[in-house]
Formats: sequence, structure tokens, C-alpha cells
Amino acid sequence: MRFVRRIFFNLAAWAVVLAVAFPLFWMIVTSVKPQFELFRRPPTFLPDTFTLEHYARLLIDTAFLVYFKNSVILATTTTVIVVAIATLGAYSLVRFRYRGRENLAFLVLFTYLLPSVVLLLPLYLMLVRVGLSNTIASLVVAYTTFALPYALWLLRSFMAGIPEDLESAALVDGASRLGAFWDVILPQLLPGIISTALFTFILSWNEYLYALVLVNSDSARPLTTGVVNMLVSAFNIEWSLLMAASVMMSVPLIVVFAFLQSYLTRGFGAGAVKG
Amino acid sequence: MTTVPQTHLERRYAALGLLLIAPTVLVFCVVIVYPLISAVYLSLFSIFTPTLQGEWVGLSNYQALLSTGEFWTSLGNNVIWTVGTLVLQIVFGVAMALVLHENLWFRALARSLILFPYFVSTVVAVLVWKWLFNDLYGILNHLMIVAGLIEFPLDHLGSMPNAMISVIIVGAWKYFPFVVIAVLARLQTIPEQLYEAARIDGAGPFARFWDITLPQLREVLVVIVLLRAIWDFKEFDLIFLLTGGGPIIGTQTLPLLVYKEAFALNRMGMAAAYAVVMMALMLAFMLIYIRQTRRRES
Repeated sequence: MRFVRRIFFNLAAWAVVLAVAFPLFWMIVTSVKPQFELFRRPPTFLPDTFTLEHYARLLIDTAFLVYFKNSVILATTTTVIVVAIATLGAYSLVRFRYRGRENLAFLVLFTYLLPSVVLLLPLYLMLVRVGLSNTIASLVVAYTTFALPYALWLLRSFMAGIPEDLESAALVDGASRLGAFWDVILPQLLPGIISTALFTFILSWNEYLYALVLVNSDSARPLTTGVVNMLVSAFNIEWSLLMAASVMMSVPLIVVFAFLQSYLTRGFGAGAVKG
Repeated sequence: MTTVPQTHLERRYAALGLLLIAPTVLVFCVVIVYPLISAVYLSLFSIFTPTLQGEWVGLSNYQALLSTGEFWTSLGNNVIWTVGTLVLQIVFGVAMALVLHENLWFRALARSLILFPYFVSTVVAVLVWKWLFNDLYGILNHLMIVAGLIEFPLDHLGSMPNAMISVIIVGAWKYFPFVVIAVLARLQTIPEQLYEAARIDGAGPFARFWDITLPQLREVLVVIVLLRAIWDFKEFDLIFLLTGGGPIIGTQTLPLLVYKEAFALNRMGMAAAYAVVMMALMLAFMLIYIRQTRRRES
């Protein structure tokens, strides 16, 4: 009786899991169907004819690769800058005592919750004024506004998890403060840094609003606005092409999921919820 | 907490600490604090977006805003969207976490599949859902007709209240994994003895959930609800891409209104006023969340 109940529970649970995952399955299926098969009724759940023509067209006939390159540059630059600044900042916030430190920590949390639409307009004015609009650099600046508070908050909680004794021991052995940071803290913090970098990268990779407002030329456009722009400009929407673009856009994410998922879960625990 | 540095070494350490935080403070001032202040300042002007020329109008933007119906409609939509999607996220997220906490076959795989929507780009999520929602060739209408739920294809995004329901559902699908992971992490720390004791006392599965699991989850749920409420309230991408605020302004929330004022109606000052009001509305929730965190830390 228990066995039957277990089977029943598993089947029901997996039915729900598969229903949740269905849109993603459908994205992949649609991307490898030939155009005419999309309009068949009833729809085919697995493609009758398998084709990669949409992927080929996407890479050859559209600006997809330019957008992809822009997104890689943008997300990587943002991640490197933000994680570097945030690692130093988090170290300072957790391990040093000075006036205003607590308040600063909560200013970070405050900005972490701040809506982007509030910063959007002044940032737009500022970037137009300094002549940075329509460049990838302008997006790096804008992405810092949400990525830096996020990374700081995450790293701060990772840093707090490193036992203070380790650092003290190194100091007793005659290491300087920065020497101890380099030799003792940084290796301990590495998993946290990787986790934070992954989150920052994904956040920047997926960002849409700033890219929509700040960049208006194909040469600097990242994937998010680039792909949507292809959708808008097309006379009739080519769904299989868009689904192929969606799959390709998710490739970095799929790589992270396949190899580095434990870092994502760790970041989850450290960031928002444990506080 | 704040002790005045006394020894020479302590003073040197404090100086080093300030040096390490300096880049953060500098970046914060330039890209966050300064824009935040100028957002408030901008809202006192009337600015034409294409030329960025403007003149001082004082508080009249705020006066105009509070007296237009569009603001109140958008605020109403914002509340409906936030509450609707938040409730679904919490209910479905907690339920899913309980399921994934059990000994499910291929649990790791199930967890990955559940987690994926949260990390996938909103653009991708919306494109896929738009294809699912497609009125002529969408799989959703097909399945609903086959299942006998509807007779004719539904217009999921172009009519009300369907559009609002669709937006809420896609929002729930995209963001419920956050709840799942957070709750799952907490579930793993509930001592097993509590359940054993309850079982000995003859409590059924429902009573165990109600009397043990839920009280244990209470604290983490408060945090999740606050965070998700703040994030859902300010959501732009998902709604903008899915419906663009339409039909007419049926799903237009405050962030979309800010965007429309600034870049479609070219009234930058007015848009800033909307943004400031929106932030003021969120401030209460943000402060509660910060106070909560502070309390837990000390």
C-alpha cells in the first residue's frame, strides 16, 4: 500500500515539474521544427522533420552574433569590475571598525531594493551629457547600479561566514593585514566570489530596461534588446527563428546549470534569505 | 557598536578599512546617490525628452499626477499584479518546496528544472510564453480546446481581464523558484525529532504541516514575502514585453507609466515625479525589510 502511494506521489510530482518545464521544452522543440510544421493542426509534440536551418539563419543572416558578442563583453566587464570593488568593500564592511560602517551596510541593502526606473531617468541624462550614450560603456555604468549593491550584499554574508580566527592567526604570525587578506581570506572566499560572479553575470546578461533606454544602435545593443528588436522589425513574426534565438541566448545559463549549479544554490542561501 | 579607535594599530586598521571601502563609496555616490537626488530634483521641472530642455515648475507635476485618473488606474493595476502574482508564487512555491523535500525520484533533476525559469532571461521567458499564448497556433489554446475548457481560441493578451491573468501567471511561473529554494533551505534545518514527536502524539500529515512546518517557516516566509513584494511591485521587463501595458492601459503598472511618460510622451519631469511617488510608496516596505534584517543580524 505504501509502495503504491509512493509511486502515485512520484508520478503526480513529476507531472507538475514537467508542466513547469514545459515552456522551455516547447521552446527547444519549436526551434528545430521547419516553419510549415508550426502551423499544423493538431500541433506535433515532437518535430516530424528535424532541422537546424533556423540556427543557421540566425547566425548567418542576422546581427545575432554581434548582439551576442556585445552581451559577452558587457556582462564580463560588469562582473569583473563589480566583483573586484565589492570584494574589497565587503572585506572592509565585515572586518574593520570605523564610524558609519553599519549605516553604510544598510545603505547597500537599501540600494539593493531600489527600483531601476527611479535611477533610469537621471542616469540617462547623465550619460547623454558625458557623451557615453549608445555605447557598451554606458550600460556597464548603468548595470553597476544594481549589480554592485547585489554583489556587496552577497559577498558580505559570505565574508561573515569565514572564521575570524584564521585571520588573527596569520596576523600573529606576522602577516600584514593585506597579506592576510590575500593569503587567508581570499582562498576561503573563493567559492563565494564564484557564486557572486555567476549571479552578477546572469543578472547583467538578462537585463533589459537600461539596454532599451540607453542603447539605440545595433553596434552596441546586447542580446535582450537586440532579439526583441528583431521581433518588432520583422513583418510577420518568425516564431521558430525567435525560439532558436531564445535557446542560443540561454546557452551560458545552460552551461552554468550543467557544471556550476551548486554555486547558484549557495548564492541563494547567502544573499537574500539569510540576510 | 562604534568604538573610537584608540591604539596606533587600531587607527591604522580603521584607515585601511576606509581605503578599502573607498571605491565602493565613490561608485555609489556617482551612480546611485547623485542620480537618486537628481531624480527628485528633475521631478520639479517640465522637461521635453528629445531636447532635454526644461523649466522649473515646482510641485505642479505632483499636483497633476495626483489628479489624473491614469496614475490611480496604474497604481491599482500595480497592486492587483503584485498581490496576484505574489500569492501564487508563495502558495505554489511552498507546495513545490514540500514536494522537493520528499524523497522524489531524480530529485536533483527535478530541482534543476524548477530552478530554470528563475534564471532564464525575462526576454526569453516572455518570447516563449507569447508563442504559447498565440491565439491561432499557440499550444495553450489547442490544449484547452482539447480538454474541453473552452470552445473557441482565447485572446490571452489582447483583452481584459485575460491579459492581467496571463501576466500574473507568467510572473508566478518566472519567480516562484525563488520561494522554492528559500523555503527548501529552511525545511532542511527543521529538526526531525519535532515530526517524530508529533507522529507519536498521533498527528496526521496535515496537522504536522500546520503545527510544525508552518510555524517553523514563518520567519523565512515574512522575509520572502517582503522581498518578493518589493521586487514584483517594481517589475518592468515582464509586463512591458508581454503586453506593453495593454490592452489600452489594462495592465499598465507604475514602472511602465514612468517609461511611457519619459520616452513615449516625452515628459521627462513628469516621469520623474511618477518615479519618485512610486519609490515613496515602496519605501515603507523597504524600511520594514531593512529593519527586519537589522534585527536578525544583531
